[in-house]
Amino acid sequence: MSTTTPPPQATPTPDAPPPTPPDKVTLVIDGHSIQVPKGTNVLEAAKLLGIDISAFCYHPGLPIVAQCRQCLVSIEKNPKLQPSCQQIVGEGMVVHTTDPQSTLARKQLLEFTLLNHPIDCPICDKAGECTLQKLYFEHDNADSRVDTPKVEKDKAVDLGPHIVLDQERCILCSRCIRTCDETSGQHQLDFAHRGDHEVLTTPPGEKLDNPYSLNTVDVCPVGALTSKDFRFTMRAWELDATPSVCNGCATGCNIEIHHKNERAWRLVPRHNPNVNAYWMCDEGRFTYHDLREERLAGATVEGLPAGWDRAIKAAADQLAVGRSAGQFAVVLSALASNEDNFALASLAKAWGVTHVYVAGKPPVPARADGRLRVADINPNHAGVKAIAEALGLQLKPSFELDPAIRGVLALGDVMPGVEGDRLASLAYVVLTSHERGPVKHAKVALPIAAWAECAGTVTNNKGLVQRMHAAFPPPGQALAAWEVVVRLAQATGTKLSWTHAREVFKDMCAAVPAWKELTWAREARPLALRFAGSRG
Amino acid sequence: MADAQSLRQLVLGRKDVQDLSDNETELPPDLMTVNMGPSHPAMHGTVRIVLTVDGEKVVKSDVQPGYLHRCFEKESEHATYTQIFPYTDRLNYVSPMINNVGWAMVAEKLMGIGKDIPKRAEYIRVIVSEMSRITDHLTCVGASAMELGAFGPFLFFLKGREWLYELLETVSGARLTHTYVRVGGVNKDLPAGFSDKLTHTLNEIEKVMVEVEGLLNANKIFRDRMAGIGAMTREDAIATGCVGPIARACGVDYDVRKDYPYSIYPEVEFDVPVGTHGDCLDRYLVRVEEIKQSIRILRQCLKQIPDGRIMIDDPRCALPPKVDTYNTIESMIRHFKHIVDGIKVPAGETYAFVEGGNGELGFFVVADGTGRPYKAYVRSPSFVHLSTAGQLIHNHLIADIVPIFGMINMIGGECDK
Repeated sequence: MSTTTPPPQATPTPDAPPPTPPDKVTLVIDGHSIQVPKGTNVLEAAKLLGIDISAFCYHPGLPIVAQCRQCLVSIEKNPKLQPSCQQIVGEGMVVHTTDPQSTLARKQLLEFTLLNHPIDCPICDKAGECTLQKLYFEHDNADSRVDTPKVEKDKAVDLGPHIVLDQERCILCSRCIRTCDETSGQHQLDFAHRGDHEVLTTPPGEKLDNPYSLNTVDVCPVGALTSKDFRFTMRAWELDATPSVCNGCATGCNIEIHHKNERAWRLVPRHNPNVNAYWMCDEGRFTYHDLREERLAGATVEGLPAGWDRAIKAAADQLAVGRSAGQFAVVLSALASNEDNFALASLAKAWGVTHVYVAGKPPVPARADGRLRVADINPNHAGVKAIAEALGLQLKPSFELDPAIRGVLALGDVMPGVEGDRLASLAYVVLTSHERGPVKHAKVALPIAAWAECAGTVTNNKGLVQRMHAAFPPPGQALAAWEVVVRLAQATGTKLSWTHAREVFKDMCAAVPAWKELTWAREARPLALRFAGSRG
Repeated sequence: MADAQSLRQLVLGRKDVQDLSDNETELPPDLMTVNMGPSHPAMHGTVRIVLTVDGEKVVKSDVQPGYLHRCFEKESEHATYTQIFPYTDRLNYVSPMINNVGWAMVAEKLMGIGKDIPKRAEYIRVIVSEMSRITDHLTCVGASAMELGAFGPFLFFLKGREWLYELLETVSGARLTHTYVRVGGVNKDLPAGFSDKLTHTLNEIEKVMVEVEGLLNANKIFRDRMAGIGAMTREDAIATGCVGPIARACGVDYDVRKDYPYSIYPEVEFDVPVGTHGDCLDRYLVRVEEIKQSIRILRQCLKQIPDGRIMIDDPRCALPPKVDTYNTIESMIRHFKHIVDGIKVPAGETYAFVEGGNGELGFFVVADGTGRPYKAYVRSPSFVHLSTAGQLIHNHLIADIVPIFGMINMIGGECDK
């Protein structure tokens, strides 16, 4: 027998209702009473109750324009339907979202919206995460009553370096226009013409080329704006999403890695009001390409492939000479996670080293724009500093490498300020995910996982420690860097052992006073976008 | 010498004949443990029985299913309601159409459209279900007879089954894994000339039945091997949850088609045969009679089937016509959402059941309002019947395991779910 539980009814209280706090407002939506902060709009208030009022133009991170009219609701004592995104809640307001009037409004709006929409789903990149598809199926799901030819507009309009526009698919919600204004401060998009000839376009001679332009693709509720980078590469509903943090610069924008077949296909921003709100920069989105390029899949000794055991032994032998003479340097990496750096710094400390070096990419002052982009393009400078300080190690930049040094144990594939010839003359052992730059001079190169392939944390320029989750396994024999450090420690008879990144994190938080309170979040299970509904 | 002898003993697992002393040549009085299955010609599906035998007599048995674990229930949580139809084909793979109907009914019950299925679709569902029931019983009876040495009836019955499979292939496109029924109706209409072909096939099958019954019913060997073997009382059948032909052979007058009538079964006339002894012979006779009753139902259905839609006219679960899918955006989106997200079944939980080849086949589904079940459970008759196998073979000879197992008709795909 069907035992569907009825939705909880708002029970009328015979006594006086609980007094509303001064900063809150009490209203009733579809029979449910709710208290929300003053100034909230009806759409957000309904969302708190789990009622998803349909909307196209509303986006929580953008100014409200009430343009699409999809979110119309009826409010008692109000003769006309009101756009719930623009309607601010009032004390005692009674809202209906499922009454015949607003249901019909939603249905008819969708019928209008689909009137000129092309039959593109099979070739549209947005299909599967499309707001229009979702709202039509949930709120209309009826055939069109109009049989006129669709208005034809331009398809595949090149808007700029990263974006292609399909004017036929556009439903004129203006989210992208407001996104450009909001994220970059540049008004590069606008509408032209009127009626059903109205199109989205760039002003004459202009290009959509601001450094945050790809956010318009994320907010587009249909497939009008598509990313040249992602276009026709992978169907959105086949991807899995794993939460992570962008490794493109010191801001540490929260992102989702969208991956399939052990490969990342795109990065999209994840909402975090304290860091990046709903946005990220275009440059950060493209960092995933690096996960597949020039990867070191197996250990090498003197440039030739070697198994783990031989490579670790060779590394220990290479380092033994410099270590015994005290002419030995450990180089941390501002590009690697806190855990990896902490493991290596702990090994250095156990070996009696008093100062360590840090290597990272040189800053790009032109990047800094006072928004999300900053000059420091290393994700973890702050973390390395905090760790070195906590372990009592003096931290120097890599270009100050002591001339007397004979052996180097380095993390990462950058070593600014150190000549290749000099590195080649040293007993240079490197833990690296990529095979490039100074790695070719290494006596021993040990493959490690890149940022998207291992669990760990990074510290952004505001000192915020953020968690990255492993989206897919590293290529070949590569291991997490802390694990390689543990193997090196064991090969050199150093007492150092962890079996999980969580343990490294625990020891690290015990050592760094500012991180005392931090806890290790549960591993995130990849979310299948197919069942995640619309993302537009 | 002692070493060589004990080595031989180790290898053989027993002493060699010439090493036995005189008093050892008698049969050993100890109990022996033997394995039957999981892969054994007389085991239907992969099931293992650890037997403790006293000579030829079974004194203890441990029936161990699970070697064919197909993860039906877990897989169902990751597939849309429509995508689960192919999985149900593989439950009782001898009568997949009935499983299809059961699964469609549970989704329809949750959506509250169970009463709105077009009449023609309901008739088609019953036609293909009854054809499947015949194939199920033909296989069970034929295979069991073969295992008792009667190879002829097996060939005759499989000939008849093949005629039905060919017809079902013209209906669904697949000989065995039909995936024909859909939530809200069926996939496509019956092919042209189906009625004549089925009528002809039914006539032919009746001739085969006469032949086979002539070979088996009064056959002394067959009767000796079946009568009184694996008998179960009516009370035991009810207590253990037996259903279908097994329960009916014990005298339990329970048939879902009569007791909880679904689809258009109230509109056709048929009788439910019951046995008196509850032994293998009764199970055989009940199945043979059910084949005849199914033929009777089919003839009525072919007469009464109306014209009309074969799919409910409800955009929530009916795919739009292909021509609309390619030519209108509304149908394109609906088609896309049906395929990618699945049919949205409202939150709730329910149990729907049909009379399968082996008895009551039920699906219990907890829906969470998405396109996939939150939890799907299948009440498979084979699993329940197999739980009685240990009792049924108790105190019988090893050779009797074969007819008992044959008549339980355990289907691995359904039993191990």
